[in-house]
Amino acid sequence: MTDVEERIAHGPIADAVRSGVLPGRVWLYSNYHCNLACSYCLTESSPRSERRELTAEQMIAIAEQSKDLGFTGVGITGGEPFLLPWLTDTVLDMVEFLPVLLLNNGTLFAGDRLERAARLAHPDIALQISLDSHLADINDMARGPENFAKVVASVPRLIERGVRVRIATTTGGPLDSSHLDPLRALVASWGVPPDDHIVRPIVRRGRADEFGLGVQAIARDIPSELCITADGAFWGSFGPTVSNGRLDTDLLLTRTILPVSVPANALLAAISGMPEGADATLGIR
Amino acid sequence: MNDVSMSRVELLDASTAPLSAQQFFSGGDPGPIVAALATVPELLVPALGFVGSALGAGAIGVRAKELAILRTSALQGCTYCIHAHTAVSLDVGLSPDEVRALRGELPLEDGFPSARERALIGWIDALAGATGPVPDDVWTEARDHWAAHDLVEISVTVGATMFLNRFATGFQLPTATHVLERLQAEGMA
Repeated sequence: MTDVEERIAHGPIADAVRSGVLPGRVWLYSNYHCNLACSYCLTESSPRSERRELTAEQMIAIAEQSKDLGFTGVGITGGEPFLLPWLTDTVLDMVEFLPVLLLNNGTLFAGDRLERAARLAHPDIALQISLDSHLADINDMARGPENFAKVVASVPRLIERGVRVRIATTTGGPLDSSHLDPLRALVASWGVPPDDHIVRPIVRRGRADEFGLGVQAIARDIPSELCITADGAFWGSFGPTVSNGRLDTDLLLTRTILPVSVPANALLAAISGMPEGADATLGIR
Repeated sequence: MNDVSMSRVELLDASTAPLSAQQFFSGGDPGPIVAALATVPELLVPALGFVGSALGAGAIGVRAKELAILRTSALQGCTYCIHAHTAVSLDVGLSPDEVRALRGELPLEDGFPSARERALIGWIDALAGATGPVPDDVWTEARDHWAAHDLVEISVTVGATMFLNRFATGFQLPTATHVLERLQAEGMA
């Protein structure tokens, strides 16, 4: 074991991850702008949103330092990450350090973009694509016109190219509702395993709060994952939300994002003493 | 309540304060310095720890500390801190004339006949009201009346006050309404 490995093995972050005190995945908001404007969006993202991008260099450094600290994976979300032309190359650099889960809306995989995304066929990279209903009109009501058609066209194409695809369904109803069975069947028909179909509630923050949608959640209800954005580091991927055009700061941990040890230690300090939350019962993930 | 429209920086409240800052908002409005510092939560606790120690009770005594804080604030022209520490100085027993002398509104000798306190104010003036080296005679005069550790303590108070002066002035932090009303009532605004 090298000196570095020895230090990591006994570091407080690594210990907290190993013991389950701290979730292993570090989230990054690569950007806040999006080609969609979903009704329940946590970040009020739209084509007109301020971009607030992390740079490729920052994202790679976060992956490298997160590994050194003892985290076990990174997730990328937005906004729509695939609006960043350099994203694919960056993800391929990041996966040299940690497995990458890449959330996206599945609507930008035509032509060259599909072939670019196909480069992400890698055992440690998964694309998590949002799809909320097996019915186009229901899905598109929240996510925008033609969203369903684009997603159901894209997913098989990606899978054919060897890309691992997960599906995320965000619902305002019960997570175990039988109404979701046809959607589960559709997802299964693509060869996506049940464990790779995530069903989660709408969280009442951001635009969802404006429309009164979803479940109320406070810090201890939200998985305590470290989440890094251009504006700072937050408690959980549901932390850096935007309400009425203003960044919510209630779950802000630090404005410092690099070195990652600064926000990671702040998160660990915040977790200590925090009573057990309802993240498991609310199914927020 | 603070008039948040006056501040150049957003002043957070209990609903927008980050997790690590919540402890400072649980008892009500913590004031604009905390509300502004809370926008960078990793600095809030260490900055308040330093400022609290530097400006709070110490070995040198509360009167000497308030001499340093109010005099420094006056030299730096910080309206927010002059208002706040005029009120505090009066509360800890400084007379109105002493306060006016520290604020430069009366000759220093009128407010402070004691050579010991004038020596301390001379040291404070040399730190907060000037740049460059501190003259030997100021140091010698201060040392004739005060222990070296006293001057170390008061110098830390001066330094912390200068940080607050520039912070409050730069961001145009508003004086609390109740402080302003009190000072107006006492003719000290």
